[in-house]
Amino acid sequence: MSDWEPKIVAFLCNWCSYGAADLAGVSRMEYPPNIRVIRIPCTGRMSPKFFLAALREGADGVWVSG
Amino acid sequence: MGLTKRKAAYVEYAQAVPLKYCISADECIYLQKGKCGACKKLCPTGAVDFDQHAETETLQVGSVVLAPGFAPFDPSRFDNYQYANLPNVVTSMEFERVLSASGPTQGHITRFSKDKREPQKIAWLQCVGSRDLNKCDNSYCSSVCCMYAIKEAVIAKEHLGDNLDCAVFFMDIRTHGKEFERFYDSAREKHAVRFIRSRVHSVTPAGEDDLEVRYVTENGDVQTELFDMIVLSVGLETSPQVIDLARRLNIELTDGKFCTTSTFHPVAASREGIFVCGAFQGPKDIPQAVIDSSAAAAAAGEMLSAARDTLTQTREVVPETNITNERPRIGVFVCRCGINIAGVVDVAAVRDYAATLPYVEYATDNLYSCSQDTQETITQIIQQKKLNRVVVAACTPKTHEPLFQETLINAGLNKYLFEMANIRNQDSWVHKNNPALATKKAQDLVRMAVSKVVLMESLKEAELDINPTALVVGGGISGMAAAKSLARQGYETHLVEKTEHLGGQARNLFRTAKGEDIRAKLDQLIDAIQNEPKIHVHLNATLTGVDGFVGNFKATLASNGSEEIVEHGVAIMATGASPLVPDEYCYGQDPRILTSLELDRKFMAADPLLKKLNTAVFIQCVGSREPHRPYCSRVCCTHAVDNALQLKRLNPGMNVFVLYRDIRTYGERELTYKEAREAGVIFIRFALDSKPQVRIEDGRLLINVTDHIIGRLVELEADLLILATAIIPNRDEKLANFFKIPLNEDGFFVERHAKLGPSEFATDGVFLCGLAHYPKPIDEAIAQGQAAASRAVTLLARKTIFTSGTIAETNPVLCSRCGICVSICPYSAPSFREEGPFAGRAQINPVLCKGCGLCVASCRSGAIHLKGFDNDQVFAQIFTLDEAV
Repeated sequence: MSDWEPKIVAFLCNWCSYGAADLAGVSRMEYPPNIRVIRIPCTGRMSPKFFLAALREGADGVWVSG
Repeated sequence: MGLTKRKAAYVEYAQAVPLKYCISADECIYLQKGKCGACKKLCPTGAVDFDQHAETETLQVGSVVLAPGFAPFDPSRFDNYQYANLPNVVTSMEFERVLSASGPTQGHITRFSKDKREPQKIAWLQCVGSRDLNKCDNSYCSSVCCMYAIKEAVIAKEHLGDNLDCAVFFMDIRTHGKEFERFYDSAREKHAVRFIRSRVHSVTPAGEDDLEVRYVTENGDVQTELFDMIVLSVGLETSPQVIDLARRLNIELTDGKFCTTSTFHPVAASREGIFVCGAFQGPKDIPQAVIDSSAAAAAAGEMLSAARDTLTQTREVVPETNITNERPRIGVFVCRCGINIAGVVDVAAVRDYAATLPYVEYATDNLYSCSQDTQETITQIIQQKKLNRVVVAACTPKTHEPLFQETLINAGLNKYLFEMANIRNQDSWVHKNNPALATKKAQDLVRMAVSKVVLMESLKEAELDINPTALVVGGGISGMAAAKSLARQGYETHLVEKTEHLGGQARNLFRTAKGEDIRAKLDQLIDAIQNEPKIHVHLNATLTGVDGFVGNFKATLASNGSEEIVEHGVAIMATGASPLVPDEYCYGQDPRILTSLELDRKFMAADPLLKKLNTAVFIQCVGSREPHRPYCSRVCCTHAVDNALQLKRLNPGMNVFVLYRDIRTYGERELTYKEAREAGVIFIRFALDSKPQVRIEDGRLLINVTDHIIGRLVELEADLLILATAIIPNRDEKLANFFKIPLNEDGFFVERHAKLGPSEFATDGVFLCGLAHYPKPIDEAIAQGQAAASRAVTLLARKTIFTSGTIAETNPVLCSRCGICVSICPYSAPSFREEGPFAGRAQINPVLCKGCGLCVASCRSGAIHLKGFDNDQVFAQIFTLDEAV
């Protein structure tokens, strides 16, 4: 087993998934810190260019949730 | 509270409003002896004035709202708990301060004795100054102590780790609030808090400031156990000053010295025009106090509606600074949030890192960025440092963005020149075991926010009229209370009821625990609704569709085969709940087995059979507090106890048994419980894993249950068995979808904030009351109906609202007229221009646009920009992920 951890960029809808991520905090759930969240107004806003750019910047995974 | 010393010149507490120093005249040497006066000499602004004295002002008012609160019970008069003598016996209020980040130990739990060491075993003793006529005169239940004791135990374990042993000594656990039962379950099962059903006899000193607790176990054995610290869960009582105030105002008090109110007028004191809210109305928790306060505001508003808007003062608007062509000058404010953030994230490191980022002119950290004094400081810093962009790294934009945007407005900045970095909800709270990486993540999030805010620009908002009409869904008691209050405050109200009559579940109820006839009062309320010209009642009606948004909704009502469109500015959900139809205890197999509501119907019909019963048995928690329905239905204990008493009144010779798990007659409902015991009603407790067994044998109705006192199985032969069935919400997913409002696991609606926003939704313009929120008795349902109306009026009274500035805009030069945006938008915001040089190209209506960005992502020409979330702004965040990925 290597120590490698994937680096994940998440694009979360302001109205549902971003709120859910807040709720995970309120509920004191724990998850690994190798994720960076970018808040978007709706997954409808999600452009293919965004995750291509994220992958080009070195992300190992892109998560779109909404 | 005297836990630490403070000087004669002091600030009341860290979040006091206004945050100003004052002088305690009793301790000030100058005021007492005429010497010193050093503060006056030293104060650089000359703010100290020794000549100030109390003044009496006379105000002309139309109504008065009393919210004087409660005093925590003082246990020093109890010699058996030795609070006055032993340092490590503390009150729950003192322990709250110990747990608080701004408390005397900065949230670090230590003993009060000289060793100041961390305790390893803490005991909570419940009902100190409550449910007690032996040592004090408070026979009522204080309602909140069970829940706060459990909360304190769980937080203490979070602070000191799982090795801390927490034990709660109690009589009945009363977790009757929303989500409280789940919290109790998790305290017991997940956090291993011990719950011991026993009233502690005495506390004696042992060893080095340790404490020995002596108590009797359930099977009668006397036990002793050593603890490091004891927390007395003190009750709530009305202070002598408030009792004196009540006397001077000539309002009645109850036996427990709370303000007398009636079930159908839950916030009206006995004297007309005086309203009451909070713990002076009866001991209660925060959500209920917030509901009452809104209800009292509504009740006062009804009386004063003719005078509305006559004393309005217009707020001075700080002119907005034009920042066009200015180089970005960013201020970064990193919040410690007490220990919520600073306990995990190295806030100083984040602040120092922020200061190194491009365009950042100023970076600092605050204890609580949202406190009023910090808000004022931020305003001053923005102005002094000529900042034109602000980043706050704190909790979450979902709850606090509007507050910080207000701060920007007060500093003369456009509110969109702002970005938040979420370093609490999505960082410190979820990575508490990884402080180094959490700090790194906070720095990354701040860097991303800074890079985005550089590209933010001033945005404009459109102003919209609010339709001053309300729609109330549900014609039960809380829906009617809401409609009545709205109409009396001057707003047209549509009341929609799916059945053929108003009244809801209250139609099935006989009398309140205070002895009021529900049917008569209900008929009066229905009459008032039907005779109110501003209320339009729609019976047999359901909602089949809802369009629009806050201020301008359009609901389609279907009734009796026809459809009608109702336009309204706000909506109140009062959709109620239903009784569970039980599938246990042989229900449905014998006419002698009834639900609580079926017994009420027999009372209402004055069924002569009731007088002739030999034995009646009540079984509680039928369908409530079960693994598949882990909530308490709140009303059943009081209802059963009152009905048991009622049977005893009809026939004092009748044997009446109540089989229960915990009796939850909270507040002054406890007096009914006491009266029932005195009248000879026999209470037998059972556990979830040994529920009573019911069988019908040769026509005899038999109930077996283990008696908790004698520890043996007893058999009861009943002539009537009454099942206290759970309250089941009408899980209305269609309605939830129409108004975009959430339901919880149990099917109740989820309010905006469990404590501070119980009668409204996170969705703007939609409000909540009654059983659809959580099971509650009539007085609380009416109060919440009034509260929902009150919250709705805060919006309706504004007359106009501003739409968001984060909307899409087309650049007609680039538009290729493909029409994708026009066809794709769910809100019909884009259209083709009909005239002008760009006729035929797309434009977007800023009022209809919700800023979702669907058109932006779909535009093949790159002609649409989404303000606040434009391509370059999102890319800026992606490109500064840098070493984060």
